[in-house]
Amino acid sequence: MNEQALKELLYKMADDQLILGHRNSEWTGFGPLLEEDIAFSSMAQDKVGQSQALYTILHELGEGEPDTVAFMRNADQFHNCQLVELPNGEYDFSLIRHFLFDTAEAIRFEMLSNSSYAPLAQLAKKIKGELRYHTMHANIWIKQLGAATEESIGKLQQSLETALPYALGIFEPSPYEQELISEGIFEGEVALQDVWLKKVEEVIGQTKLTMPDVASLTPAFGGRVGKHSSHLQPLLDEMSEVFKIDPGADW
Amino acid sequence: MASLGCHFLLPLMMKSLDPRVTRLNIPEGELVPKVPLDQFGTFEVFVQIKEGKGYRHEGIVHAPNIDMAFLFAKEQFSRRMMCSGIFVAETRNVYVTAFTEDKDNVYSHIVDNIPEDGEEETYEFFHLNKRGKQHSHIGSVPAKSHQHALTLAKSEFINGDPVYNVWVIKTSDILFTNEEDKIMWDTLPDKKFRDASDYRASDKIKEFKERQQ
Repeated sequence: MNEQALKELLYKMADDQLILGHRNSEWTGFGPLLEEDIAFSSMAQDKVGQSQALYTILHELGEGEPDTVAFMRNADQFHNCQLVELPNGEYDFSLIRHFLFDTAEAIRFEMLSNSSYAPLAQLAKKIKGELRYHTMHANIWIKQLGAATEESIGKLQQSLETALPYALGIFEPSPYEQELISEGIFEGEVALQDVWLKKVEEVIGQTKLTMPDVASLTPAFGGRVGKHSSHLQPLLDEMSEVFKIDPGADW
Repeated sequence: MASLGCHFLLPLMMKSLDPRVTRLNIPEGELVPKVPLDQFGTFEVFVQIKEGKGYRHEGIVHAPNIDMAFLFAKEQFSRRMMCSGIFVAETRNVYVTAFTEDKDNVYSHIVDNIPEDGEEETYEFFHLNKRGKQHSHIGSVPAKSHQHALTLAKSEFINGDPVYNVWVIKTSDILFTNEEDKIMWDTLPDKKFRDASDYRASDKIKEFKERQQ
């Protein structure tokens, strides 16, 4: 098994989940209603938990301790796509990002449940239930606000247009696409984007939103090779503030 | 993208609720509809803790519609406990009897039958068997109205243990969990990190104190 290819895949997935989990957790206490505050916070916690599971697999492959890997790297050592590091903005942007990202994530893990790399296939089966709720949550919200009032439709539409080029950055090709595919580890970003786009269009089609022409957009690539917006480093500084006071502390 | 960074939540400009500020706004005699409270309606949430057990009333959530009520109910009422299914119904679709006490079965106060016409549908029944506890799902009855369903159920429950309060909900007013969505509850046993007890704080404090000595 091509370990380098596998690690590249695991890192980008784990970093996506950690960073988006952290961003979404910034809504805790500020949600639009208490029930939603609880739901969104809980999903954010799920994401951080999923990233921990992936960092643990990486640790078993010889990488650092999960906490060290999560808290001690700088922005240019992170492999998350830029979509997940963008500031929360208003709730419409956070919801659209949640919808675009989690749709891709659920499909990715569904594909990985057949991975030739057993630990990843097992994890994919284990978190299937969490992901089912996350996509249900995203789809119901988008259908609700995407067909509610002129204001909600307008705001979601604008956020959709802002977020889409970044969402395409999720599928930035890895240098190891062929190895991953031929070894049966993962079906590859092209196949994933294909299924993702159909699913996104299916949900958007049930609203009054207009799906932009994806082919005409320039994807925001770079995240997978450590090129990030100026928003990531401040997030990391804040996230690791407590850990860095005493990295050796036993919690 | 420049605009993203600076969109923070702004407070809504609201009219003051302080009567000292608003009492001078005396309307000029015309009738206006009463303004509803600025909040969503409520939905009743019923939870099944594991396959084979009955559903029990757990509480309410606020939501704009029943699909969103289901979303909220899932996290609100099954995040930290075992669950195998949830269903929700809008509060105004729940028909309730009066409460009784002691050995007084509420069914003994129900009329024997009422004239009914209309379509037959099924109605779900929920009983309160102990004051202060939750309502439990009992089963369903085909009938032509909520009241009609209650009269039909009377003969079955009048001679049993006292029932102190009954809720009747038309089956079609309930949003049930889809079979394929039940995997949502598969992951809970592994989430010990969500429980304070998992951090064994008292052990650590003890250890710390011993080290201090």
